[in-house]
Amino acid sequence: MEVVGKLIAGNFNKLLVRQKSDTEIELGELLVAESSRERIILQVLDLAYGSQLSQQNLEFVSGLSLEGVANAIFNDSELRNYTLAIAKSVLTVSNNQVRTPKKLPRFFSDIRRVTEADLSFFSKPNSGIYLGKLRSGSKVLDVDVWVDADMALAHHILISAQTGKGKSNLAKVMLHNAIDSTTAGFLVLDPHDEYYGRHHKGLKSHSSASSKVIYYTPSEPIPGARSLVINLKSLKPEHFQGVIWLSDPQWQALTAYYKTYRDGWIEAIMLEKALDTNFYEATLNVVKRRLMQVLSLSVHEGKLESRGVFSIESGINTTKDICDELEKGNIVIIDTSSLSKSVEILIGSLISNEIFRRYKSYKYRGELPNKPVISIVIEEAPRVLGKDVLSAGTNIFETLAREGRKFKIGLVAITQLPSLIPRDILANMNTKIIMGTEMAVERQSLINSAAHDISMYEPTIAALDKGEALVSCSFLKMATPIKVPLFSDIIKKNEENKISNSFAGVKLD
Amino acid sequence: MRFAHIADCHLGSWREQKLRELNMNSFRFAIDACITNKVEFLIIAGDLFNTSLPSVDVLKEVVRHLKNLKDNGIRVYAVAGSHDFSPSGKTMLDVLENAGLLVNVAKGRVNNGMLQLRFTIDKPTGVKITGLPGRKGLLEGSYYESLDRESLLKEQGIKIFVFHTALTEYKPKELQAVESLPLSFLPMGFDYYAGGHVHSKLIAQPKGYGFVVMPGPLYPNNFAELEKLRHGNMLLVEIDNNEIKPKELEVKLIDVLKVTVDCDKKAAEQVNLELSEAIDSLDVKNKLVLVRFSGVLDSGRVFDIDMNRAFNNLYSKGAYFVMRNTSELHSREFEQIRIAANPAEDIEVQLVNEHSSDLSVFKDEKAVIKELIALLSKSKVEGETNTDYEERILSEFDKLIGKHKNI
Repeated sequence: MEVVGKLIAGNFNKLLVRQKSDTEIELGELLVAESSRERIILQVLDLAYGSQLSQQNLEFVSGLSLEGVANAIFNDSELRNYTLAIAKSVLTVSNNQVRTPKKLPRFFSDIRRVTEADLSFFSKPNSGIYLGKLRSGSKVLDVDVWVDADMALAHHILISAQTGKGKSNLAKVMLHNAIDSTTAGFLVLDPHDEYYGRHHKGLKSHSSASSKVIYYTPSEPIPGARSLVINLKSLKPEHFQGVIWLSDPQWQALTAYYKTYRDGWIEAIMLEKALDTNFYEATLNVVKRRLMQVLSLSVHEGKLESRGVFSIESGINTTKDICDELEKGNIVIIDTSSLSKSVEILIGSLISNEIFRRYKSYKYRGELPNKPVISIVIEEAPRVLGKDVLSAGTNIFETLAREGRKFKIGLVAITQLPSLIPRDILANMNTKIIMGTEMAVERQSLINSAAHDISMYEPTIAALDKGEALVSCSFLKMATPIKVPLFSDIIKKNEENKISNSFAGVKLD
Repeated sequence: MRFAHIADCHLGSWREQKLRELNMNSFRFAIDACITNKVEFLIIAGDLFNTSLPSVDVLKEVVRHLKNLKDNGIRVYAVAGSHDFSPSGKTMLDVLENAGLLVNVAKGRVNNGMLQLRFTIDKPTGVKITGLPGRKGLLEGSYYESLDRESLLKEQGIKIFVFHTALTEYKPKELQAVESLPLSFLPMGFDYYAGGHVHSKLIAQPKGYGFVVMPGPLYPNNFAELEKLRHGNMLLVEIDNNEIKPKELEVKLIDVLKVTVDCDKKAAEQVNLELSEAIDSLDVKNKLVLVRFSGVLDSGRVFDIDMNRAFNNLYSKGAYFVMRNTSELHSREFEQIRIAANPAEDIEVQLVNEHSSDLSVFKDEKAVIKELIALLSKSKVEGETNTDYEERILSEFDKLIGKHKNI
């Protein structure tokens, strides 16, 4: 095995490895210090220059060279000047058993690069979420990285990256693989209409898409899609929490209408029906106006009319159908690209509340163990989990972030601004998939709430390229560097393997 | 101009001779209605037969009736349904088509992997008809995925699309478990969508589509359907100045009388007495009598209820035929495994529920068994070799078992 360096100094968290002159060690690379009984896997956290010459002499010699006084040639330059890798022990492997390192590798150990054979403990769980290939520096190893689906999903996943670093690609890869490898149900609120594949390749290209991927859209449905129409009677006052901003008396009016008119409460507000409790006219007017705006309602000749996705006549089963599909372990994608932010959140809130209600009841009846985990994928997560949003009042997504795991409901929160999410909620997200993040404040918020101590990984995170990620997860033994495959490549491969349709039963020319 | 639309005849499905006759008579009723109402053509939206290889007796009768239509100048257009379609793609419709008795309108060509359907033009009226068959396990879903919709949309004139598939948006509550495709799978731009497969009536006009219509079965197919629907149904569709008016026509051959016998907390002798008294007061002459027993007997066993005597009474009073259902009847003294007289899926679910507690390999035995049954029911995909098929099933089997192992 080729030796790439020697362990020469340091302490437990900061080991110094001198790089062999004819090799190149990369930032983030995985290395191995081996003894007869065990292997210790190291991860390179930083790189630095080392030299036998003093700084003063180096400055002088470089001056001679730059000013053309003399052509500075070092004697034994490969011995005198070198690269130092700053590494950290991340795992000890002994007899294929993996544990957290508790001791230093042997002083002066030979250091070699990691191989696939060293990483055989990365195995596929029975129900797993696929994240990508293990990466050592920029080299991609043929080792698949999975996390246990039920555990990881119920304990929430955060995907964080700047725009263009591959967040949506990762989410699509995860969902595509989840169709075959998990029993979990996924609700995807899709503000860019990019998951199903209306405009580009999407999850509809999966061979089981017709039965496993359910797509609701308010726009003209493409083949395979369902129309997103929700009956007004499905809505309850609590669904509006985090959607519209109302004063206490306005909330009280909303609740009073619901108590009096039950599922006809919205119509009652719009048609200004009477209430037993007295409210100021101005209060009722504000409530009416806000609901009219968000639900696209109007009153014409004493009759309620609707224009948006909320309907007076149809869509009574939509929420139930969506929840049923989720319980079957299917992926339900809601195209919210043409909806306002508040309507998108309202729909998400409506479905999430219903799922939460069902799962609480299953837990009470002892049926929860037989139910699949349900995960809610939210793009631009601070819209519902941001500090400013939550300071104005709680919502179902916050409740799920805090309590969901007890009821097998988790969030997959996707964001480029994790610092906007309160720290205690970030800490509740036990799997963090950290992709390229250039802003230091965002990196820090992730580091401070990660499942592993990744305080020294800041340079590594800053250097993450498109599609590269660092995964910190309670259910992985180490902060794991990965390379996410391109979703388009996966689809292309599927299409190559697709069995052509012979259309039996259709008389062909 | 007028045409008729029927579906789900399931000819040959009933075991009981009298119900077989009623089933066939319903078909004859539909044929006679076509002639009487002077329809231009008849559309059969799948499942004319109950199996892909119907008995000679059934076939002989169907040929006779279709010949009658032909002699009256009425054309017949059809697609195969999930019952009368064999996995090899062969259907008895081919035989009838070769005999000139009907036209299977599922025709087209494949261009770059896309299915381009060809219209069959009903020459006297100029109406253009095409469609797709229904297949078990919703295998026709891939046909819709590969459908060239543009060419269908561009075609001018009055167009009818014949299909045999449940539509998600229009599934009745009691059929929620039936596999279905969303409405958006149907190609747009047709004036009339002649559907079948769901044994429930539907007349809808969704946005972007013409009339989407399902007549329900031509004759009920089991005890529960007889209870619910009582009779079959067909549609007479009027096209007047491009305006389409579907009108239901009940296929009522015989009165159906439903008798519910509540046995709960009663002794078998008491039930016998009450049943006998109830029968005495019933007018059952020339009626199909459906007797449903329900409840838990306090004493005595289920077979202590003298059903034969009761039924003989009914026959002596002139009942045409008597059917019973005891799926909801139980006895405290002797519990036996009972199954619903419903479709195969219900029976499977009930049997699994009753036996899964004896097993303990997986945590969620019921779900595993259900998924296994579904997996092992998968047919070979067209063009797939036996080896590939075996490998696919084995690999899916491994995945399924692996998935449930640690749940």
